[in-house]
Amino acid sequence: MYLTPFQERMLKGEFGWVYAKALEIIVKVGEALGSDRLVEISHAHVSGVSYSNIGEPGLDFLRDFYREMPRFRVYTTINPGCVDYGMLSQVIDNKYLGKQALIDEALVGMGAKPVFTCIPYYHRPPLPGEHLAWGESSAVIFANSYFGAMTNREGGPLALASALTGFTYYHGLHELENRVARVLIKISPLIYNKPLSLAGLWIGENVRKVPMLEIKEKPLYEIKALLAAMAASGSHALAVLDGITPKGTYKTSIEETITLEFSDVEKYIGETPGTSETVLGYVGCPHTHPEELVILRRLLEKYREPKRGRLLVTMPPEIASTYSSIVRLLLSRKVDIALGTCPVVSVLRKKYDLMLTNSGKAFFYMRKIHGLKVGIASLKEIVESIYT
Amino acid sequence: MSLEWRIKRVVDGDCSGRPVLINQYLSFFGEVDPVKGVVRTDTGEVEIAGKVLVFKGSRGSTVGSYVIYALRKNNVNPCCMIVKEVEPILIAGCVLAGIPLFIAEDFEKFSTILSNEKLITHRAGDDHVTIE
Repeated sequence: MYLTPFQERMLKGEFGWVYAKALEIIVKVGEALGSDRLVEISHAHVSGVSYSNIGEPGLDFLRDFYREMPRFRVYTTINPGCVDYGMLSQVIDNKYLGKQALIDEALVGMGAKPVFTCIPYYHRPPLPGEHLAWGESSAVIFANSYFGAMTNREGGPLALASALTGFTYYHGLHELENRVARVLIKISPLIYNKPLSLAGLWIGENVRKVPMLEIKEKPLYEIKALLAAMAASGSHALAVLDGITPKGTYKTSIEETITLEFSDVEKYIGETPGTSETVLGYVGCPHTHPEELVILRRLLEKYREPKRGRLLVTMPPEIASTYSSIVRLLLSRKVDIALGTCPVVSVLRKKYDLMLTNSGKAFFYMRKIHGLKVGIASLKEIVESIYT
Repeated sequence: MSLEWRIKRVVDGDCSGRPVLINQYLSFFGEVDPVKGVVRTDTGEVEIAGKVLVFKGSRGSTVGSYVIYALRKNNVNPCCMIVKEVEPILIAGCVLAGIPLFIAEDFEKFSTILSNEKLITHRAGDDHVTIE
């Protein structure tokens, strides 16, 4: 791999072993993929932040770096931790607060902005063509597909290495030649009225090439859920969204057209709540966007309190403070609000029989991590099954 | 009788072990327990510690790299991994953990000839693994 004199000096350890180690990881991964040079990035988003996900080995890894007091060389945001930073949630267990604080101290101490969210684009929407090194599969696919930015699906440690060095390897989705949609997916009207997460789970499991999707006039939160589901059940990092993905950030060479019918995705609806089951409604995977908050306010206004189970809503701390009046209304309806975390990366206090969510990503992980039965439903259906 | 199978070295290294085939794409976060060293499949848990883990490739969470690193730190890592295709999350994890990673030529055929009785060996620098 070609390195500039500055990168050579970094790799040799002139700026300390942390930067040398970080660059070594990037070079090794890049060389394994056939990359011949590095590219400067302007924003790193670091995943692998939650203690309940990365455990002691991950904590030690981060603390070893932090002990040398390095600083991130580019703007860096971080994923959710495993505790509720609002300290109000009855659903999320804060048992790892001390361990999580050690991780947070290390990352923020190195210069990360403490957004604790999987929607870093809320804090800084990337520009078309901008080179990024993002972890968090749902954020990666959103950055490429919605904003036309350029990032691969970086593993947590690699995004950290890019935050430290300011570089990633030039390969994959950093090159226009690799951003080519090859499968056109048409979504039948029967699915179009359902949560788009259903289509996302099917595409993730059944399509390997870059898809082009015909979705028009869908709200941002539906697109967020669709893309996150694709990135969880598959390894997609880009889907060309006709009419949304900025022109000039992709090419098309359609080899195949698939029409998705309701019968294809029906199995992902999963479980529906039985009358005696305890239900946890869940909105906020990926984290709740203000657009969803507004809808939740409208849906919840007419109710006083849940009739069964709880509705959990997770969001970045900053959205909760900016939209505090909506949050207050939700709290008055006994919605359980957790900030800077989510059930995928944390421990739950109580076992519920079933989770009802609009998120295909939560559907994919909650069954595997918490052994929960999970069903997919729209925001309206979720609210109604908890409050009526 | 032994057989040589062509591979592409992604992360090079020596290794030798019994193969365990998981014929799907894996999200290391969620589908692998880094404390027990097992893969959670729909049909139950499959031990991977000390084995040659053969699977199609990685999917899902970018935290997967840390899970691979944790497998190594907990001493329950597979001795190497052989896949159909690679992506950055898997490579970063294997680089960090020092676990050899190879892409098998004609993965479908490779996966059909594996059984628990076989032993797979790789020597650093070789462009093949030996199956015996």
